[in-house]
Amino acid sequence: MSFAWLGERIKRRDAGSVFLIAPLAAFELVFFVVPFLILVRMSLNANADPGFYQPAWTLEAYRAVLDSGLYRDLVVFSFELGVIATVIAVSLALFYAYAAYRADGLRKSLLLFSIILPLLTTLVVKTYAWRPLLSPNGVLNDVLVGVGLIGSPIQFAPGIVGTVIGQVYIVFPYAVLSIYSVLSTMDWDTVEAARDLGASRPRSFLEVVVPEALPGIAVATVVSFAWSVGAYAAPSQLGSGAQTTFAMEIESLMLTQFDYPTGAAFSLLMLAAMLVVSLGVMRLLTGSVGGVEGV
Amino acid sequence: MSEVELPRERVEDALFRAGYWLVFAIVMLPIVVVFVTSFQQGEYLTFPPQEFSLRWYGQFFASAEWLSAVRDSIVIGVGASVLSTALGVTGSLAVQRSDSTLARILPPLILLPLLLPPVVIGLTLLIYFNRVGFGSTYLNIIVAHTLWATPLVFFVMQSVFARFDWDLRDAGMDLGARPSRVFYHVVLPNVRSGVVISAVVAFIVSLQEFIMALFLKSYEVQTVPVLAWTSLQSSLTPLVSVVSAFLVAISILGVLVSAVLMNIEWLAEQL
Repeated sequence: MSFAWLGERIKRRDAGSVFLIAPLAAFELVFFVVPFLILVRMSLNANADPGFYQPAWTLEAYRAVLDSGLYRDLVVFSFELGVIATVIAVSLALFYAYAAYRADGLRKSLLLFSIILPLLTTLVVKTYAWRPLLSPNGVLNDVLVGVGLIGSPIQFAPGIVGTVIGQVYIVFPYAVLSIYSVLSTMDWDTVEAARDLGASRPRSFLEVVVPEALPGIAVATVVSFAWSVGAYAAPSQLGSGAQTTFAMEIESLMLTQFDYPTGAAFSLLMLAAMLVVSLGVMRLLTGSVGGVEGV
Repeated sequence: MSEVELPRERVEDALFRAGYWLVFAIVMLPIVVVFVTSFQQGEYLTFPPQEFSLRWYGQFFASAEWLSAVRDSIVIGVGASVLSTALGVTGSLAVQRSDSTLARILPPLILLPLLLPPVVIGLTLLIYFNRVGFGSTYLNIIVAHTLWATPLVFFVMQSVFARFDWDLRDAGMDLGARPSRVFYHVVLPNVRSGVVISAVVAFIVSLQEFIMALFLKSYEVQTVPVLAWTSLQSSLTPLVSVVSAFLVAISILGVLVSAVLMNIEWLAEQL
């Protein structure tokens, strides 16, 4: 077998790869990278009368967003919701992913099914279905009043409780699967060993399972956080006026006020802020940045 | 170790089990609500309903507006599924077999749309399509959904190709078969389940996606979730539960198909 032939073969294989990779690379370039550059360009245009913008190179739109007290409140609330929903979703997800990892047979299939199904269900269904459960005359209130825990019905939705429940429900499946996919490669013997050495179950969980799951927890945190800061469906469907997020304002800027430069600038500022927070979380949880795989 | 610990372990076990079944019940609850309320009689969505009827199913099938949204959703779902499966499978195959710079930067790049809030992608594409659009709402939404579905296809196929024995392919090549024939006769039969699952998942993701579809809808074309959303703005009608029941049923079917082809554990690790 001659080396020239081998070289030829490798070259041919590479040429084939280029041919195969080209469509995907072109698609991402034309429909993701270029639109993003246009978004950046749009944020530098000047805002004109409703529905129009003036081609320009100005930071006016950024200044308008940063100076606005209303927007500051929206941003603060969006980040609060992001943190609260992420903490609840990731803690519950760690527990549930561990349960799915430990289960076997039909039970494992049921637990995984209960995660994949909501994952593949539209946001609309995931949010509105909570309304008859959380409203003042809903099931939760009936139960709580019935057992005497509360005297009179509480309005969970519309309100902050409903918003948080809805948002946690939206990101929960993604968080579980991020953690589960890491846990599923873990060797149970390590945990057994810790227990044989006298570690209690909670301790073996905290000191063996959690560190193993950290990369998954990091991915779960970043995904839950990005989606919860950008929450749209849960606060609009289950919140009251006090639960307005940045994403709802973007929707209104783009689809009602047609103020493209401000919408673009606002989005880019939020993305920058979210990126900083996400990198911080990744560094905190994994000790290094990067290495995110398989969401 | 001692006899005191045995009951304690049993209590821990019971609590652990009670804990995850409680979460299971809460996670499934909204899905139950959707199915049950789709059969209710009253005007206003109530759970549990007082009386049952097929009234809202009748209304759904009689509504031209809903049926046209169903058609739009199917057109877009099929389009997004075909496009993202084609791009994802070829791209994944290429990345698997190459270590060029492009093959290294592409995976994180295609993952990015999944990590951005959908509202941001919606607005980015809205601005873009307003300037250089196809002038077709169908194509606009298909492209948006393909941005989302492609990474799923891509990573499912990465794992499928990783399990494929590439020596088989090389043997086919050594025997003189053209690459296209080798792909068709040797590679494809081994990865067919993966491709089918990818296409099914891509279709479902497109069918259920709502925020990008909301930003890119037009007067003539809007998907089922978008129409459901707009109807909910005016009233909490059980008609939405009928539509939702269909949407959830399609997802259940998709999960079952995938579970039969591979298994549910594998699916959970890929998504």
